[in-house]
Amino acid sequence: MYDEENIEPEFLKRQKKNPFRTPDHYFDSIEDRVMGAIEHEAKNKTTSKSGKIFQLLKPVLGLAASFAIVYLLAYYPIKYFSPSSLVKSGITDSSSFENMDAYALNFSLFDENSLFNTILRDETSALSEIKSDELLAYLSTDMNDLEIYSEIQN
Amino acid sequence: MTDDLQILESLKDPSTRELAFRHLVSKYKERLYWHIRKMVLNHDDADDVLQNTLIKVWNGIDTFRAESSIFTWLYRIATNESITFLNQRKRRMMPGLNDVNEYLLENLESDTYFDGDEWQLLLQKAIATLPDKQRLVFNMKYLEEIKYEDMSAILETSVGALKASYHHAVKKVEEYVKTHEPGIGS
Repeated sequence: MYDEENIEPEFLKRQKKNPFRTPDHYFDSIEDRVMGAIEHEAKNKTTSKSGKIFQLLKPVLGLAASFAIVYLLAYYPIKYFSPSSLVKSGITDSSSFENMDAYALNFSLFDENSLFNTILRDETSALSEIKSDELLAYLSTDMNDLEIYSEIQN
Repeated sequence: MTDDLQILESLKDPSTRELAFRHLVSKYKERLYWHIRKMVLNHDDADDVLQNTLIKVWNGIDTFRAESSIFTWLYRIATNESITFLNQRKRRMMPGLNDVNEYLLENLESDTYFDGDEWQLLLQKAIATLPDKQRLVFNMKYLEEIKYEDMSAILETSVGALKASYHHAVKKVEEYVKTHEPGIGS
């Protein structure tokens, strides 16, 4: 149907000449340039692989760093700026943190009755140390507070 | 052909791959360059596309199944890279240029490595006005003198369709030449 002998116009039968040219010695170095480009691409791929791992871990690392900063910001002010009694009692000592759960457990078992009994027990033991003679002598004296104070000072 | 088979075997072997690839490039670089150059017209663009083509060839060695000849495979990659390049340029087209053909004409006129006379410039301008497929077929048939059967394998198009494309391309070029330079076309 499309017989090229019949369709080719006269002007296309002219002598063909390549009107394009290349820079001098262009073809001499193509192999080296292409191999260089291939090596460069391979290096970039390797670099981008390690970069990809970092990109994947980036959110996790960011989160871990945030926790570390929050921990340091909370821990050191408590340790260095809290009352010394707290420090001495070991509440801010890092080793005491391990015992805090035990304290919490004990406190949960410590109800009102046991607290009241403990207080009364202490008072009873204090009262038991006072002898009955001393108590009677104290009640029989008719001294006011000022006189008692003077007596104690002397 | 035997040489191509030997190259192919050496390419499949990692220990001889680089040497075989250099041999392959050395054998086909000029034909590939001119095939690309006639599509993109400008030397710098042709150089970029040739490099991309050869990198693709290197990366695709393991997937090449030898169902077609190396020549066909190389030309197919070069053709695809050329068309991809021109389409990319079309997307990044400078304001004022309507289509890729205008880009090609600008490219042709600004190319310092064009030594053609008035007639050759006119012919190249006429070819640059063709649609991509017709331009490709016209270049391969008329300028590179590739057989329809080989073109059919490279472009994965039937011989009949290629002949039709060439026919339309020739008519358009003839029309362009007659319109722009009546004295030359007759």
